[in-house]
Amino acid sequence: MIHPFQSVASNSDGSLLFFVIKNSILVYSVKDSNDEFKLVGEWSDEADSTAIIKEKVTKEQQRQLAENTAKKLKANDGTALPQEHKEAKIPKPGQGAPPIYQYIRNVKLSRDGKWLFACTDSDKAIVMFEISAEDKNNCLRLAKRQRLPKRPNAITTTIDDKQLIVADKFGDLYSFGVNDDQPCVNPEPILGHVSLLTDVAIGLDSNGKQLVFTSDRDEHIRITHFPQSFIIDKWLFGHKEFISTMCLPVWAPELLFSAGGESSIFSWNWQTGELLDRFNIAELIQPFLTENHLAPDRFQNKEGNLIEYSVSKIVTFDSLPLIAFFIEATKAIFTCQINRDSGKIALKQVLEVPYNVVSLACAETTGELIATLDNQNSHDKNFVAFISMDVDKFHINQSKQQKFDDFINSRLSDNEIANIEQEGIYPLYHVASLRKRGEH
Amino acid sequence: MRAGMSLDDPSSRRQSYRAKKEENRKELKHVKIDAEVVAEKVELPKKRYYRQRAHSNPFSDHQLEYPLSPNDMDWRKLYPYFYDESKGDMTKEVTIADIGCGFGGLLIDLSPAFPDKLILGMEIRVQVTNYVEDRIIALRANNVKTNAYQNINVLRGNAMKFLPNFFHQAQLEKMFFCFPDPHFKQRKHKARIITNTLLSEYAYVLKEGGIIYTITDVLDLHEWMAKHLTEHPLFERLSQEWEDQDECVKIMRHATEEGKKVERKKGDKYVACFKRLPTPEII
Repeated sequence: MIHPFQSVASNSDGSLLFFVIKNSILVYSVKDSNDEFKLVGEWSDEADSTAIIKEKVTKEQQRQLAENTAKKLKANDGTALPQEHKEAKIPKPGQGAPPIYQYIRNVKLSRDGKWLFACTDSDKAIVMFEISAEDKNNCLRLAKRQRLPKRPNAITTTIDDKQLIVADKFGDLYSFGVNDDQPCVNPEPILGHVSLLTDVAIGLDSNGKQLVFTSDRDEHIRITHFPQSFIIDKWLFGHKEFISTMCLPVWAPELLFSAGGESSIFSWNWQTGELLDRFNIAELIQPFLTENHLAPDRFQNKEGNLIEYSVSKIVTFDSLPLIAFFIEATKAIFTCQINRDSGKIALKQVLEVPYNVVSLACAETTGELIATLDNQNSHDKNFVAFISMDVDKFHINQSKQQKFDDFINSRLSDNEIANIEQEGIYPLYHVASLRKRGEH
Repeated sequence: MRAGMSLDDPSSRRQSYRAKKEENRKELKHVKIDAEVVAEKVELPKKRYYRQRAHSNPFSDHQLEYPLSPNDMDWRKLYPYFYDESKGDMTKEVTIADIGCGFGGLLIDLSPAFPDKLILGMEIRVQVTNYVEDRIIALRANNVKTNAYQNINVLRGNAMKFLPNFFHQAQLEKMFFCFPDPHFKQRKHKARIITNTLLSEYAYVLKEGGIIYTITDVLDLHEWMAKHLTEHPLFERLSQEWEDQDECVKIMRHATEEGKKVERKKGDKYVACFKRLPTPEII
């Protein structure tokens, strides 16, 4: 079988689609007239982290040796103890340790569509690609690999695409020059939370000044000036669970949508700090919840019916006052109409797709939604759902989906990386694990 | 040995002591103490019953109570004497914070020095917070006639995560960081209470001209804190002369339990104070 697509990004008119399978990125062009797909770029992450780990371990060994020398370890008779100089070993995870996945977590395009950024997982790096349409063999030109001290989790770019902004799982935010020739060696964070960062976005205030938005596992959305990231503008208070996704629409620069581990989508006027609406999805989501949404045994209630679900991602379009979002491990995509003046959220449509949604992207100018699906039980069908707008209504484009399935089967059925056995599936669901469990 | 047990202090005795105090706290924590009710002297809490390991991981998910936002904080419960029933509002807001207040020595000495200011201690360790609460309850009860110690209180919290949930922008005049956990290991430096990134949060809750006070007996930590505060664009170090004439520096040097311990051991104490600068023009 072919591995499900873990992540997807689309350029603004939907003519280039970027998919992630395990540790590889596949780029397909789509001809609008007849939905004809073509492979235009690919890249596999073959980075071997052994050398880096070795370097780290050796450094730590040297530090410890230096420390011991400073302490002058002595035997009982007062003579200095000889220091051992064994070669540093690369630690191997023991039995029961979580598996190390050498895979790509997510991909994101620059605003102008000229760059692609990928977050790698255990390697803790951002890989930057220049997208060159002229190159007929491979449109992905690897520019550089920026290593980070901790796992990167979310990326965005400044309005002019000159700086890449990276949020990591340790709570720190970094900024890198996109056009810099060399990766930064010892990056220093430009701001930090004492909490895992889940999403990052850039917005403009009424004076055209940039601000950076960071959301975390401790219910906080923080708004900070950029590049003066030592000046905090405000926090948006109201979430009672972790936040997983934020979305700033082009059509209303003062609005912000956010959601996460609770049953509401929040609508804010971030410039005034006012919470404009809380759109409750508890009833809407009911038909799509399964036993996979039962709370883990340790945190389950006496009746055994405690359900937990999380909003995975919210997206919006360039010119349509709409948002679309999905709940992790469900087959539904929701679209909502936004009142431009009041910020109120109203349901537009509930779209049911054949399998659980894994990731969601949108072609901002054409209003098309592209959802990758957890199709591991489908016998290599339904990799992606294409949802397009047709006279003010969204519909699932069945024929495009069919053509895409045929295309993928013809291209990938003998691809070594993409083909796997069931146990080889990389993690598709990450959001639920963000839920906080108070320890003591 | 099981957690919560100790050889010279049978757990049963400590448990019952803690249970009794807990009851006491429930009753007296949030009320104006009536002189009629408290006829006899309330005994000050005994520190040995509140022992807890010295460290707490600031990154872990503790079961903490914190307000959804500064507007949702019910300060009346902590400072009942400063609540105006007729207006339904507080007469004052907290302007002095002691972050990681430990056993509360600084709070208790600051209280009479700033009778018109509300002072809050924040502490992450449960038993230590309980001790400070019991200490304040006893002090308030024993000074009912003068209404002393009504302006101080403590809450259990993780200031590194939730400070902005408690305080509005520019609400604070003074913040104290006394003998913070040094977190010696380089890997653990983010766990330090003074970091580049957290300083921006402190700058947010401090008003212009507000002061950050730091004191430690660990030279390496002192240098680290001074370095990061000096480098931060919103803080400026105050001079030795300023430190010498400042009342809070005097109190800080001698009041805290850690300070006293260092004094007994004839150790060094390093002080550094910083002023919150005006926010520059946004570029």
